[in-house]
Amino acid sequence: MHPACPPRRPSPAAWPRLAGWWCWLLLCCAAVTLALPAQAQTMWLDRAQLVTEAPGQPPDWAGARSVALPHAWDSGQPDSRSAVRLYRLALPTPAFTSNPLFGLYVEQACSVLQVRLNGQLIHDGGRFEEPVTRNCHRPQLMAVPAALLRAHGNVLELRIRGYALAEVSSRQRVGGLSAVEFGPYDVMAAHHARRLVFAIRLPEVMSGALLLMGSFMFVMGWFHREQSYLAYFGALMVGWALLLARLWAADLPVDNQVTELALASLMAFITLAAVQFLMRYAGRRPQGLRIALPAQCLLMPLTLVVAGPGRLYTVSGVWFVLLAAQVLAAAVFYLAEARRQHSRQLWPMATLLGVVGLALLVEFTAQALRLDSRIGYVAQLVPALGFLLLGLRLVQQYGRAFQSAEQSRAELEVRIREATAQIERNFAQLSELKVEQVTDRERKRIAADLHDDLGAKLLTIVHTSDSERISTLAREALEEMRLSVRGLTGKPVKLIDALGDWRAEVVSRLNQSGVQGEWSAPSDEEVPQTLSSRAYVQTTRILREAVSNIIKHSGASQCSVRCMLADGDFQLVIQDNGKGIPTELDGRLDKGHGMASMKGRAKQLQGQCLVESSPGYGTVIRLTLPLERHTTMG
Amino acid sequence: MNNILLLEDLPEIRAWLKSLVLQVFPTARIIECSRVQDALLQVQSVRFDLALCDLGLPDGSGTDVVAKLRDVQPEAQSVVVTIHDDDEHLFPALQAGAYGYILKEQSRELITEQLQRISQGEPPLSPSIARKVIKYFASMAKPQANAMPEVSLTDRESEVLLRVAKGFTLPEIGVQLGLSRHTIADYVKQIYRKLNVSSRAEAALEAQRLGLFRR
Repeated sequence: MHPACPPRRPSPAAWPRLAGWWCWLLLCCAAVTLALPAQAQTMWLDRAQLVTEAPGQPPDWAGARSVALPHAWDSGQPDSRSAVRLYRLALPTPAFTSNPLFGLYVEQACSVLQVRLNGQLIHDGGRFEEPVTRNCHRPQLMAVPAALLRAHGNVLELRIRGYALAEVSSRQRVGGLSAVEFGPYDVMAAHHARRLVFAIRLPEVMSGALLLMGSFMFVMGWFHREQSYLAYFGALMVGWALLLARLWAADLPVDNQVTELALASLMAFITLAAVQFLMRYAGRRPQGLRIALPAQCLLMPLTLVVAGPGRLYTVSGVWFVLLAAQVLAAAVFYLAEARRQHSRQLWPMATLLGVVGLALLVEFTAQALRLDSRIGYVAQLVPALGFLLLGLRLVQQYGRAFQSAEQSRAELEVRIREATAQIERNFAQLSELKVEQVTDRERKRIAADLHDDLGAKLLTIVHTSDSERISTLAREALEEMRLSVRGLTGKPVKLIDALGDWRAEVVSRLNQSGVQGEWSAPSDEEVPQTLSSRAYVQTTRILREAVSNIIKHSGASQCSVRCMLADGDFQLVIQDNGKGIPTELDGRLDKGHGMASMKGRAKQLQGQCLVESSPGYGTVIRLTLPLERHTTMG
Repeated sequence: MNNILLLEDLPEIRAWLKSLVLQVFPTARIIECSRVQDALLQVQSVRFDLALCDLGLPDGSGTDVVAKLRDVQPEAQSVVVTIHDDDEHLFPALQAGAYGYILKEQSRELITEQLQRISQGEPPLSPSIARKVIKYFASMAKPQANAMPEVSLTDRESEVLLRVAKGFTLPEIGVQLGLSRHTIADYVKQIYRKLNVSSRAEAALEAQRLGLFRR
């Protein structure tokens, strides 16, 4: 994804437009302020006598040349070498003598200025020895007390130390003097203050802002390598802040040659930052540039040093063209790439790049053609403003991306929590299932063991014992065991199925023993209930015991079994016409007939087993089981 | 009865069963085996009329012998002799081709009678087995109705099965349906046969399906 296209809300789309309007307004104000006409009370001094000062000798005014102001020490003119020069201007006595204080305003004197009026020192701009004070861009104002003025024949001497064009990297800093304005001090001061704001104060403010924001963005980009374009843009801003410092930094600890070299080389650094920013912002990381651009940063000062201070302007000029071409190529590449990726940044970026490029072009043209310096003032502020705007935009995008990342992280966290809960639930279910499986397997194993070991032994006893009683006991034990196993492994049994099983067993056993059996049970539709395997097994035992008793002891010829469902109870009535169960002396029924165990089993199922018997009238066994209790038990 | 296979691992029970079988079929030659592998070898070489197979044996299940016998000697009658009375154990053996089962712990007289009945073509059928058979054919009926029309149950057979499941004895069902004891026994035999045929067809289909999937 294009790193510069984080998801964005629609409303802040107005933000860059607003900022653009704000800048436009600012620039208009600047232009208006600068364009305010000078007042009629002032006078312009634009003719001067010029001599070059020879060290240790008084100025030779006889050999002075008359020059028009503004005057620059360009090549191709007689005074084109670095030197200390004196301009002598004739100051006409002002007509408005009522004023006690006058002002002398020098818009540009490059690089350092000293002013004498009628031989009196009235202004000292700074050091004339290396490192020379750099006041090229600073408008200077000096107070001229009326007392210092003669009635006529006032002479102004402007002493300037400056450098030849060949020794500086920009035409802005070639030695020279602009026209000089003279008038009432308050008018001059207002004039000076206005200029000072645009020439010095605003560049200072811009430098500070760019430095602060650039450092901030650099650190931000440094720690988020994915957004490395932020770091390069930060570097670009810092570089531009240093470049702007040339406008206001007057007293540097190094001499002109080093300063000019550093300024020229700064352009290589700015180019590196700008090209890399555009590439990274377009989502590209060309490997070649990683080495080529820093190498260029080293190569440029090296060539400047080798060429020597005398060819600084020419060599740096060649370099500037080269660097400008690189930045232009990168800008074109970026715009092409943004267009290809249908980036939302295409038009804002194209506008910004266009404005910055135009401003630089205007600034350069104004210098080369010596247009009004006010154009230059405005033009040199535009790129800085543009960079600040773009910086804010990038930070905004970064913040937006950070916000959305935070949001998706929060969403992810919620999803992880949900997934964890789900896993835990699944695990719990799985464990339960596992327990059930293990239990089931264990039951099956016990059942198999019972059959294989106990079953086989009992079976052997059944068929090898000589005693019929032991055989019978063993057979019963085997049946018991089988029922126990069924209770152990069993699933719930449908009552209708259980009735079928019981009927088959009871009827066939009675028939085999010659007892006439009669079975009655509710029809299929009436018995939807199920029995737990325990209830099934216990009822089977009770029934089996009862039938055994009838076959063995009662001597009955008829037996009826009735199954009924009443009030949620299951009732089983087994009735025979035998001789009944003999009553013991204490009134209790014979335990040998297993009545006690039948009652015990019924009790286990929360039911009851009643036995009614009287000698000669047969026996009735009533078994009642609550169905609800046992329908669902496993 | 000429050759009878007796597959039983407990020596005492085997001896007891042998004497019992000899009582029913005095002239028969009884080949005793205590392991599935021995029995399978015997099935390859000897022609049997009747086979009594235990289910739980040290080296496997008697069901394998029943199935083998059904494949190699379809006319031989297999009877399961077991300690298990639950359909979980019995049903696979019946599907493999057994014609009924005898519970080992029953008295000598009862087993003798059952053996005679089986050899005369009257295999026993318990309610729980009948229910299982009903369920089995009901589940078969849906997907493979077209594939195997010959192995679905007739109405009469279903009627008999339903009555057995409710606990009626075979003679009782004969009376209820106005059929002779012999006819009812024939139905039961048919049910056993169809159970076997159906499960073999099912197995073949299953194998074919797996084969298709493997390819």
